[in-house]
Amino acid sequence: MDLLLSPQLLFSALVLGSLYALIGVGLNFVYGTIRLLNIAHGDLVMIGAYAAFGLFTALGLSPMFGLPLIAGITAMIGAGLYFGLFKRQLENTTSVEQLEANSLLLFFGVSVILQNTMALLFTTSPRAYQHLDYVISIGGLDMTLSRLLALVVSLTIVFAISMFLKFSIYGLGISAIIQNRDAAKIVGIDVGRVQLGSFILGFGVAGIAGALVSLTEQISPFMGFPFTIAAFVVIILGGLGNISGGIIAGILLGFIEIYSVALTSATYRSILIYGVFVAAIMLRPQGLFGKAQT
Amino acid sequence: MTALLEINDLGTGYGDVKVLHGVSIALEKGKVTAVLGANGAGKTTLFRTIAGLLPCMSGRVRFQGEDIGVLASHKRVEKGVVLVPEGRLVFPDLTVAENLRLGAINVRARAHSDDTLKTVMALFPRLEERKSQYAGTLSGGEQQMLALGRGLMAMPRVLLLDEPTLGLAPGIAKQIFSTIPELLDFGLSILIAEQDVRSTLKIADYGYVLENGLVGITGDGESLVRSPLVAQAFLGH
Repeated sequence: MDLLLSPQLLFSALVLGSLYALIGVGLNFVYGTIRLLNIAHGDLVMIGAYAAFGLFTALGLSPMFGLPLIAGITAMIGAGLYFGLFKRQLENTTSVEQLEANSLLLFFGVSVILQNTMALLFTTSPRAYQHLDYVISIGGLDMTLSRLLALVVSLTIVFAISMFLKFSIYGLGISAIIQNRDAAKIVGIDVGRVQLGSFILGFGVAGIAGALVSLTEQISPFMGFPFTIAAFVVIILGGLGNISGGIIAGILLGFIEIYSVALTSATYRSILIYGVFVAAIMLRPQGLFGKAQT
Repeated sequence: MTALLEINDLGTGYGDVKVLHGVSIALEKGKVTAVLGANGAGKTTLFRTIAGLLPCMSGRVRFQGEDIGVLASHKRVEKGVVLVPEGRLVFPDLTVAENLRLGAINVRARAHSDDTLKTVMALFPRLEERKSQYAGTLSGGEQQMLALGRGLMAMPRVLLLDEPTLGLAPGIAKQIFSTIPELLDFGLSILIAEQDVRSTLKIADYGYVLENGLVGITGDGESLVRSPLVAQAFLGH
């Protein structure tokens, strides 16, 4: 019981939850907005993690300063995939179901390619690096600077994005496309451009999340899949395209995972996340905060 | 004299199902042109094709002499061809103000959006009262005002009004209908499809009757009201 009330556990849950929220926001741009089932999302997190690892070990560049560059790398992958694979799909596919099915298969291929390319380049052995890992104590809470930074940076980015989407005309355009694509077209929204922007933002955010993840845990070419699932749990619980719902859902998922693992054992981690995923789809497919679709 | 909007031998449909088989319509500047026809005659299909939501499979859509039939919807809006769709299609989870702001998203309209907004609010004071309310919570009539207001925010040169009073209570429908001639003061031209044939022909300068995806009868508003075929088909005598 003491363990459950410890500030340490609370802090871990917040760190993981904020990372899940950030990863969920990234997926929301691609799935929530344009309905592409990006099951390679976690692999982009992995790419971001390796980019951070590479910059740090090869150039000694702190991931904190490397974030724009890392985001740029994954955003460019996003833009490349948009023009290479998805632009035509989006223009020529009229039904959402068809789009989801096609994109699922395409992203499955992307996921396999990314994982295996990274395994070839960096081997499959897990990697880690020591950076900003001195301990700060506040009250009874000991935390490493790196984890504190991961928490602060991910929450800052998530809130910045939600403000941007709430108040900018671009954000209104995204909401409009989610609510009614035809209506969005006839008011004059350039749907193609918003979609490209969503790819760039979604993939860039995934890269940043990966860099932050690499500060808190070891990385490997196959680390992505659990993050993909976590991201889908977050946006299904939070509601498709609902950024603030996703933030709450992400933090909630972090708490569920950390506290359940503390109560049981780390071996249940994956089972727990998939369990929440299945439960979310069965019990509240419209999301915790969503209205039932009529 | 060339028409502002000219539709030539337009054919389209949904996949293999053809709905329009060569429709030709001309719209003159500053005029109200009506498209009449029974349910399923292809009115909405025609409007959606002009707005670019459906592909123009054969024939031409020309606006100010330029072929716009191949352009994406948002480019047509930028040129000034704006659809106020059947069923209104306001954004339910955005506020009235946000819906209107989106209406002026095209570059040409955005620069003037503050002025346009004042004009729209003056035309529909109800929208001013409800501006921070979610569009999904508005009544049908209010949603129609919002759809019209959103269309006007785009600074249209041609406004395509598809069934603006469909599903509204008669009193509200009349109120909405009475604002349509006022819209001409914005310097635009109107293409309207409407169930209420009698009222429509009163304000229309010219009309086309669609039958099974083809233009049946055409004529000015007066002559159509007097046409025995129109009378028989729509006016119930």
